[in-house]
Amino acid sequence: MSEVLRSTDYKSNLKPIWCAGCGDFGVLASIYKAFEELQLQPENTAVCSGIGCSSRLPGYINAYTFNGIHGRVLPFATGVKMASPKSTVIAVGGDGDGFSIGAGHIGHAARKNIDITYIVMDNSIYGLTKGQASPTTPLGVKTKTTYYGNMGMTFNPVRMLIAYKASFVARTFAGNPKHVQEMIVKAIQHPGFSFVEILSPCVTFRGKDQFKIIRDKSTYLNETHDVEDELKAFDIANNEEYYALGVIYKKVRPTYAEIVREHVTKKAKATVNGTPKIDELLEQFQP
Amino acid sequence: MLNNKNIVIGIAGSGGEGIISAGEILVNAASSEGLFVFMLKSVGAQIRGGESSIRVRVSDLPVQSQGDRIDVLVVLSWKNFLRFKSELQLEEKVIIVSDTDDPMPDEEIPLTESQREFWYKIPFAKLAEEHAGTHQAKNIVMLGAISEIFSLPREALSKSIKKKFKYKTPEIIENNIKAMVAGVEYVKTQVVKNDPLIFEYQHRKPRLVMQGNEAIALGAIYAGLDYYAGYPITPSTEIMEWISRYLPQRDGIAMQMEDELASINAILGASFAGKKAMTATSGPGISLMNEGIGLASMAELPVVIINVQRGGPSTGLPTKTEQADLMQAIWGSHGDSPRVVIAPCDVEDCFDSTVLAFYIAEKYQCPVIVLSDQFIGHRKESVNPESIGGLNSGFRKIYQRDVPSAEELKDYNRYKITENGVSPMTSLGIKGGEYLGSGIEHDEKGSPRGDAANHAKMTEKRWKKFEYIKEEFRFERFYGSKEAKLGIIAWGSTKGAVKEAVLKANAMGMSVEAIIPQIVYPFLIEPFKEFIKNKDRVIIAEMSYAGQFRRYLRGFLRFSQYGVKVIPFTKAGGSPFMVEEILDKIIEEWKEMEAQR
Repeated sequence: MSEVLRSTDYKSNLKPIWCAGCGDFGVLASIYKAFEELQLQPENTAVCSGIGCSSRLPGYINAYTFNGIHGRVLPFATGVKMASPKSTVIAVGGDGDGFSIGAGHIGHAARKNIDITYIVMDNSIYGLTKGQASPTTPLGVKTKTTYYGNMGMTFNPVRMLIAYKASFVARTFAGNPKHVQEMIVKAIQHPGFSFVEILSPCVTFRGKDQFKIIRDKSTYLNETHDVEDELKAFDIANNEEYYALGVIYKKVRPTYAEIVREHVTKKAKATVNGTPKIDELLEQFQP
Repeated sequence: MLNNKNIVIGIAGSGGEGIISAGEILVNAASSEGLFVFMLKSVGAQIRGGESSIRVRVSDLPVQSQGDRIDVLVVLSWKNFLRFKSELQLEEKVIIVSDTDDPMPDEEIPLTESQREFWYKIPFAKLAEEHAGTHQAKNIVMLGAISEIFSLPREALSKSIKKKFKYKTPEIIENNIKAMVAGVEYVKTQVVKNDPLIFEYQHRKPRLVMQGNEAIALGAIYAGLDYYAGYPITPSTEIMEWISRYLPQRDGIAMQMEDELASINAILGASFAGKKAMTATSGPGISLMNEGIGLASMAELPVVIINVQRGGPSTGLPTKTEQADLMQAIWGSHGDSPRVVIAPCDVEDCFDSTVLAFYIAEKYQCPVIVLSDQFIGHRKESVNPESIGGLNSGFRKIYQRDVPSAEELKDYNRYKITENGVSPMTSLGIKGGEYLGSGIEHDEKGSPRGDAANHAKMTEKRWKKFEYIKEEFRFERFYGSKEAKLGIIAWGSTKGAVKEAVLKANAMGMSVEAIIPQIVYPFLIEPFKEFIKNKDRVIIAEMSYAGQFRRYLRGFLRFSQYGVKVIPFTKAGGSPFMVEEILDKIIEEWKEMEAQR
């Protein structure tokens, strides 16, 4: 066995570019701790992202990391996982990357039950482009691109993910790093597609009071909550007066890779002196 | 002109009449005799049924194209023939075979006197009903009849029928054989042959029959494909269908994604994880993928992207061919994003080009686009078994990605600047090789950096590879006479008509030479310079109204400096060039050049 890894071993040499007070610092620290708790091997861990403030996060982690293009982290992570089934694959990003430009991918990664963890740091604003409305910006809020107030209803990510048949849905808050760590560990341990919404305040464009507002609205789910009860999970998601934090829904079902394994009888790749042998495939083209 | 060693048969009817099955049986029968075969399908817009037509060229000699005019026209229903009359151009002395009980609507189908000279009427449907118990077997009665009239290989035909129906009940197989025999017997006893066409050929080793799309799929598996992600789109879908069936058995994964954005990014993920990855698409899909292709250039990830071109822009002509995605393939993404573009020119070359694409992608860590088109993708051609997975070509090497040495891993720089621009590449599982890959500009370590000096340095590094690719892979095809003063430059599927026209022109005493590249980009300038040096005129033939290839060539070749007159020969796609069109152009230019001499 290899030596015991500490949370600092997962730190890369890059310094985060985030503003002072950003919720993402807490998330990053919790990720280091979660990796330590799980003793993930950096060479067998992939952390991928798209574009946004939070999408810079992979660069701060010592592992195989990738900072791709806006909105496409889930398909990228899907490809990584399929090609390297034994690795731990984590996709990270923000609300704009995930619920706006990349929204089309979430349902498919979820329904196929790709065994990856998707962490969304939701700050309800576009921070990297300096303060425009996102899909989770509350109705009526003025931003640089919603001069007259945000005119669209606010997205409810947890409800969406349950509807998409995600097999693990949790919500947590960057102001409680211990809880964030716990949720990330559970999500990574879950066999199948796991989704964690982390309410991660943007103090620069949403205001310094965001931490307090979210803390006041938060309640924690206790052991009496039956995580497999889908209707109950919807009820929890539908209650927008409060943010219920914890594992909201979870149901283990076969992953995509398991279904493939079950249905395909594999033959070994045949080669002769290093050259692939395809005679068997050519038979169908015989006249 | 009837040529007994080469026959072009057109069959028209409706989808439900088994036209395509009949064509496939004929193609297989001919290929099992070692003949050269070429089959083109044309279908209406209906998903099922509707009108359809096929054109089968069978030849004792190598064929390069679909053949221009129909020698034998078989009509199962005249009503459906009407839809295709512009696509099925008939020889002056065409031989017509039609159903006795399906009268031709004279006023709508103006056939000349000579086109009515040889006309056999056979009760296909009635014979099928009598001998096979169903009118549905009329396509098979027809095959029996034409095999008797033109001396096509009947034994092979009956074998081919049995093969076609091998998953059906013994009764169905038997009935179909009866149907064929009924066609043969009817001709023997009731028909007096008055046309001069008797097909002659030499029996040779059987050839394989496949579509261009199948050849690409096979090539990918031969090259060691591990992961395929794609989204269905005409005319590329067969690639995905084939791969999704056979790749999983061979330890790979094939996934249908939600769109092309997902497809390109999924294969980038698989490549990042160390696997050989590919996607295939067509016009609208490739437009969506361009951002991802740019990411492949920037993050230096090896991927292969197949574009089976269709008519455009926008939805355009999904089931028709065109060569108008060239500039997009080369310059498609934003920024200076180097990629390689390879253009297969026929079905065999689809296999070869795909294997080569993987070789270049994996060795040079870059995206490689294979630009096929509907004309190659959907046609069936007989191919030399030796060329498919055989040992006929120098390019058919398989490249396994290099793994960095322990020395390189000590202070690992994923994007290290090297002499040829290729850096040591690690992937998941390699300890000490962890790095940040990214679409944002980065330094040699992979860390994001925004300064101009670094950008200039890294851009140069990414482009440097292309000088080495040009050196390593030199492969153009030359046809015709080296001394010719008249030249033709073409690319991709236009090769067929060009080659055949050049060979014909040479046989007619006109000296012409053609050049067709396999790698279109980066541009291999030397052979083209050599080619135009002694030419007076060069025709540039392409299925792009805007003349994309000509404009592209002009960026590298100063034709006027060599005193060469450029003759643009463009057409919007839809239907591929006919040999006759190219030949007429050659004759026109040749005459003008002669007059000036």
